[in-house]
Amino acid sequence: MADIKRQAVGESIGEGKTAAGAAQAGLAGADAEHAAWLAEMERASRAKQESFMNGISARLRHPRMTTNPQQPARGAPDFWRTFDWTPEERIERFEANWRSVGGHTARVRDLDEAGRFIAERAQELSARIIVRQDQDELAALGLETSVPEAEVSVWNSEADVSWKARAAEADIGVVLADQALAYTGTVVVRSAPGKGRSVSLLPTVLFILVPAERLGTRLGEALIPMDEGGREALPAGVHFITGPSRSSDIENDLTIGVHGPGVVYALIIG
Amino acid sequence: MSANKGKSSVKERAELALNDEFLVKAVKFTTERLRNGKKNASAEHGNWDEWRERGRQIRLHTIAHLDYYLNLFVDNARANGVHVHFADKGEDAVAIAMEIAQRKAAKTVVKSKSMVSEELHLNHALEQIGVEAIETDLGEYIIQLAGEMPSHIVIPAIHKNRYQIADLLSEVAGERLEADTTVLAGFVRKKLREKFLEADIGMTGCNFAIAETGSMVLFENEGNARMVTTVPKTQITLMGMERIIPSFEDLEVMATLLPRSATGQKLTMYMSAITGPKRTADADGPEEMHIIIVDNGRSLQLGDPEFQELLNCIRCGACLNACPVYRHIGGHAYGSTYSGPIGAVLTPALNKNVAEWDDIANASSLCGACYEACPVKIPLHDMLIYLRRRKVETGNGKAVETAGMKGFAALTGSSAAMKAALAIGKIGQRLVVRGGEIRTKLGPLKGWNSYRVTPSLPRRSFRDRWEKLDREIDAKRPPMAPDMKRRMERIVQEREQGGGGHGGH
Repeated sequence: MADIKRQAVGESIGEGKTAAGAAQAGLAGADAEHAAWLAEMERASRAKQESFMNGISARLRHPRMTTNPQQPARGAPDFWRTFDWTPEERIERFEANWRSVGGHTARVRDLDEAGRFIAERAQELSARIIVRQDQDELAALGLETSVPEAEVSVWNSEADVSWKARAAEADIGVVLADQALAYTGTVVVRSAPGKGRSVSLLPTVLFILVPAERLGTRLGEALIPMDEGGREALPAGVHFITGPSRSSDIENDLTIGVHGPGVVYALIIG
Repeated sequence: MSANKGKSSVKERAELALNDEFLVKAVKFTTERLRNGKKNASAEHGNWDEWRERGRQIRLHTIAHLDYYLNLFVDNARANGVHVHFADKGEDAVAIAMEIAQRKAAKTVVKSKSMVSEELHLNHALEQIGVEAIETDLGEYIIQLAGEMPSHIVIPAIHKNRYQIADLLSEVAGERLEADTTVLAGFVRKKLREKFLEADIGMTGCNFAIAETGSMVLFENEGNARMVTTVPKTQITLMGMERIIPSFEDLEVMATLLPRSATGQKLTMYMSAITGPKRTADADGPEEMHIIIVDNGRSLQLGDPEFQELLNCIRCGACLNACPVYRHIGGHAYGSTYSGPIGAVLTPALNKNVAEWDDIANASSLCGACYEACPVKIPLHDMLIYLRRRKVETGNGKAVETAGMKGFAALTGSSAAMKAALAIGKIGQRLVVRGGEIRTKLGPLKGWNSYRVTPSLPRRSFRDRWEKLDREIDAKRPPMAPDMKRRMERIVQEREQGGGGHGGH
């Protein structure tokens, strides 16, 4: 927690000052002031927390509850927990679900074939900028050499690059699924220093590699482990992606790619 | 901000809506589509009632122990590095959000859909201190440009057609845009892209907050909520104090119920679980994250046996789509942020001003379709009755209606008075009866006879025929069983002693 705070304060608003010394002093002053304000807000909030919770327990007409009340029912009904598809069924259903919401799927044998598949599409679309997560599996795709026309960036691999802007101007994003679930046709991606949330969001076209062995059946298979690991094991963002960005807000007319990627490929490996 | 705040009652606003042919068609079409989508999705998934019951149990339990779970959430969120704030009233939440915006010297705030912020009229407040607040959900963006309120929880711009939308967006573009969905959505994508990248603050609502990990969860289809929580350096989340569920395990139930009930989807395109600001080494995500926990009338429902379940609501909009009244009059007729059956109950409940919103509770046929549709089984139709009762009890009924009801009670309470009144009525009605029907819209009959016909009083009424009927039946009736006779006699005796508790309503 201390780490996060220090950093939040450390990278505060840049206000375009010229003289380096003065700017640094000014920024440090502003940072200190901001940190003091946050600390003050926190003090007020902690005091308020007590009265807020006491107000709730008074309304509920019981003394403040400080021990875990046992849940009479937690999570999905029992019959659901044993529900499972065979590996082949999972792939079929995942693909059917993914396509039913406007996504594309393909099955490839291995990373080599996946790399060739992406390279072909990239050339077809005349992609200029590709951003991929910083992972060995994605390095093995060999896009740097197979798509020489495009600039391939590896997320957060250099300092002094505005990575969010880089992802925003990218034509193609390439990510590796941490998990996938067939029943809803969903892919799970977890954020990390080498795995940007922007890579699966900002580019126009998105390729998601789904190793077949990471494909489960039910949503609970991804959610329950998130409880088990506890809050310290969770990254800042866990994103469940179920197809291309879409909206029906104009006359119920389906539009694909409203804010996020409009063309989304799930490549099932193995 | 409201489209027709000028009109004071639901009835007046509904007449306005009923006259707007497109609105009526659009609302019907959309709600039909959503309702069928939900029916198909819940049927396809199977065991729907078991899932609903699970959903209800989880929500009931969490709300009944809200002091524990909310406190746990707050402690965990703080441990994740989130700055948590509490707001008793809407104004407090607005003040906190404005202070953060000022501290950050923010020029632009990008927002993803949040019913709480609609409830607080936050955009207006931000504008007044010179901060541009931009709604980024396509439908919300459209109604923001039009300066209106959302007319549906899930599809806010349900009442606008693409020509009206093209007009609004053309003004922003400074050139004529074709009234084509792809062109219009494409323009919004480009326009809002710029806004996401330059915004100082991202502001969101919260679908669910996970007590055990301090995470917040957002459901959406467009990706704008992900944008808002990924790109700007500061994130502010407004969260109703009742949004809590204990665990991610419980989220599986909510994720099963919410999208299917809202739009008939198996899952929304994006479901994001956000646990604190970005980690030190991450290259995106907010550096500073605030969660403002809002009461604003919610705690008034706690401990109230008739209304506590209102807090179980997961804001799916299924009750709107199921409601025959909503389908006819649309959301704006309800005159508040929340419309449809949930709005009819929630608005007066949150505002604790039954009197002011009295006519909303009457905009319902009490058919119970809302309860049937509700994924967490909130008995909305019962609550509408409680609300009507409270309105009368607090003396906020209509004076004429109260007098009328008193008169009716006096008449029906005495057989002689009833007899006399009917006799007078039979003579008096000769002035207005035509062919056995009363069609005049004069005086008190206007409301009823505008859409219906009142039958005339018959020459010989049931009361007149009763004595003879009773004698005829009595002759054929077997004698009453002795114990039943004794029981009946006891009841009559008790009633005479004034102990009867029936017929009080």
